Amino acid sequence: MAEVIFDKVEKVYGNDVRAVHDLSLEIGDGEFVVLVGPSGCGKTTALRMVAGLEEISDGTVSIGGRVVNELTPKERDIAMVFQNYALYPHLSVSDNIGFGLRLRKMPKEEVASRIEWAAKLLGLTPYLDRRPKELSGGQRQRVAMGRAIVRHPQVFLMDEPLSNLDAKLRVQMRAEIARIQHEVGVTTIYVTHDQVEAMTMGDRVAVMRKGELQQMDEPQKLYDSPKNLFVASFIGSPAMNIVEATVERRGGGIVVRLGDQELPVPEDVARRRPALSGYSGRTLALGIRPENLEDASVARNGGARLHGRVLLTEALGSEILAHVQIDAAPVVTDDVVEGAVVDETEQVVAADLLGESGDGRRTTFVGRFDAASRVKPDTDIELVVDTAKLQFFDLDTGHAIHESAV
Amino acid sequence: MSVVERTEDAAISRPKAVARRLRGPKWFLEMGWRHVVAICACLFALFPIAYVVSAAFNADQSLGGSSLIPRHVTLENFRAIFRTSQPAGSEFLPAHYVRWFLNSMLIAGATAVATVILGALAAYAFSRFRFKGRRFGMLALLLIQMFPQLLAVVAIYLIVLRVGDVFPVIGLNKPTALIVVYLGGAMGVNTWLMKGFFDTIPSELDESARVDGATPAQIFWGIILPLATPVLAVIALISFITTLNEYVIASVILQTTQKQTLPLGLYQYIDQQFGKHWGPFAAGVLLAAIPAALLFTFLQRYIVQGLTAGAVKG
Repeated sequence: MAEVIFDKVEKVYGNDVRAVHDLSLEIGDGEFVVLVGPSGCGKTTALRMVAGLEEISDGTVSIGGRVVNELTPKERDIAMVFQNYALYPHLSVSDNIGFGLRLRKMPKEEVASRIEWAAKLLGLTPYLDRRPKELSGGQRQRVAMGRAIVRHPQVFLMDEPLSNLDAKLRVQMRAEIARIQHEVGVTTIYVTHDQVEAMTMGDRVAVMRKGELQQMDEPQKLYDSPKNLFVASFIGSPAMNIVEATVERRGGGIVVRLGDQELPVPEDVARRRPALSGYSGRTLALGIRPENLEDASVARNGGARLHGRVLLTEALGSEILAHVQIDAAPVVTDDVVEGAVVDETEQVVAADLLGESGDGRRTTFVGRFDAASRVKPDTDIELVVDTAKLQFFDLDTGHAIHESAV
Repeated sequence: MSVVERTEDAAISRPKAVARRLRGPKWFLEMGWRHVVAICACLFALFPIAYVVSAAFNADQSLGGSSLIPRHVTLENFRAIFRTSQPAGSEFLPAHYVRWFLNSMLIAGATAVATVILGALAAYAFSRFRFKGRRFGMLALLLIQMFPQLLAVVAIYLIVLRVGDVFPVIGLNKPTALIVVYLGGAMGVNTWLMKGFFDTIPSELDESARVDGATPAQIFWGIILPLATPVLAVIALISFITTLNEYVIASVILQTTQKQTLPLGLYQYIDQQFGKHWGPFAAGVLLAAIPAALLFTFLQRYIVQGLTAGAVKG
């Protein structure tokens, strides 16, 4: 029974490096919360502050109503799974799992029965006498999980526990961790840079960037109404298409102009965003999710259309991803670039890719088309846009032009 | 010191058998010269040992005229070093070989054990904790090591002389005093060596143990030391052997024959004005080499790579 509360938490290294800034969030008892963000966003630091491996510069962290700032990791009653597992190489699997219990001077029979329970839950029973080096990556990962669950802690902390696994195994373990967490019902904070992991595993997801919390919400809400350009471009794969658009009044309604093409903004979309009319004559960032674009030749519903030229198609069997070039200026702000690529060192490449047309007049959209589409590269195409799902962002602040502003 | 690969990888990494068999000059150019080099190196290393063995069993006392293969083989030299009274007509002095031997083993053994523990504690602190003066401490250890120990002999003598007035246990002529001096002298290199090794043990292991509820002491004894056995074995061995060989400081501190170590005692055989008894000297040296060789054989199995394999994803 423990909720975890961050209250205005700061982490400053040395004098000037600010890893976490003004972080406030509440994690309910038994909830599975994922901290997600690009590298260096402070998510791991935040996790380590809960673990007691990192001092808290300012603010408080409390677990189960108790402020833990000054407590040692031992006194906090938490368990952590490390990215590289950190198994004790000189101990057998069973000794690794039971290490924390033995330190707590638990009776031998109790230790043995708990190890047995954890091993059974994780399918490790045949390997209890092996050393970590005799195990595969996935098995080591399970041992690390076992070491955490066997203690029945108040909180699980997981620091990118799947990032060292092979891609398919990662998908399986993702489900398995979610299952185990559900079974033991322990409050869990899970750190990852992989937004797919975040979306699929978390009850709620907290998106961080440069040490600050951007948005914390249920995965679907995060996806449907991102608070800013960063969250919009970070969440979702393929990423949201973001393009510069000018707002214009036309008749009684509003249209957005992309280069020399226009998309009407449905009346109810505009009504729910009263601030939008204030942008009349100005440029903003328009966001369209790939699944809201469809090849006009297979589209079941009519609707607003855009013209473009297909550069590339990726057939995935169940669907086709088409890269379509549109004559409209791309949005290449820091928000978008950082959201697009997780690794800081690759952001230059990302910026290049986003503005690949060079002259800044053309943007590449990714559309998620029905598998029936016969779209071919180097052909012109007409796209149907689901304008009810359009998203709007202020170009200067990056903030979403909200529905909640009603 | 060979570093043995404990994992099965050793078998995998062994080069594949040469498919074609080389012959004649080609064989020599590719393979043969290595044998020549190896044989030369072996001869070079074994040469002094051969002479000591020869001298130990040689009835002839002078070194100059004797050949490598002794003309008269005898065990008299060995008997001589164990004789505690001088028999009539013998030119050998009475010896305290057993006592010297025990003194040496005690001092070298205690120094080796204490060096490992002290060094490991210091290295753990330098490797894992961040504290004021950490950098200065590391540099100071290194800097002090730069000065030859001989420089300190006068100071060591004076300190031990004075300290003995207050704490007789570590005063002049006490083996404990010598052990303490050795411990101080070896701190630097050993701490650096061990710190280097500790740094290679992933710090996530410490953190993981901390979260599991271990105290720093429990982490040190339960996690770090077991994983550091290779470096501990090396340091113990080096420390044991250097202590066994040390002459100068031992000669300053240990003054009576009964208290002396093997180097001091044996040196008396070849230090006499009217006769250098190389035979008993060699016999004594030969016997003294046995414990060091045994210790090496024993510790060798701990000097392995790959102890931390499986700890973290490599």
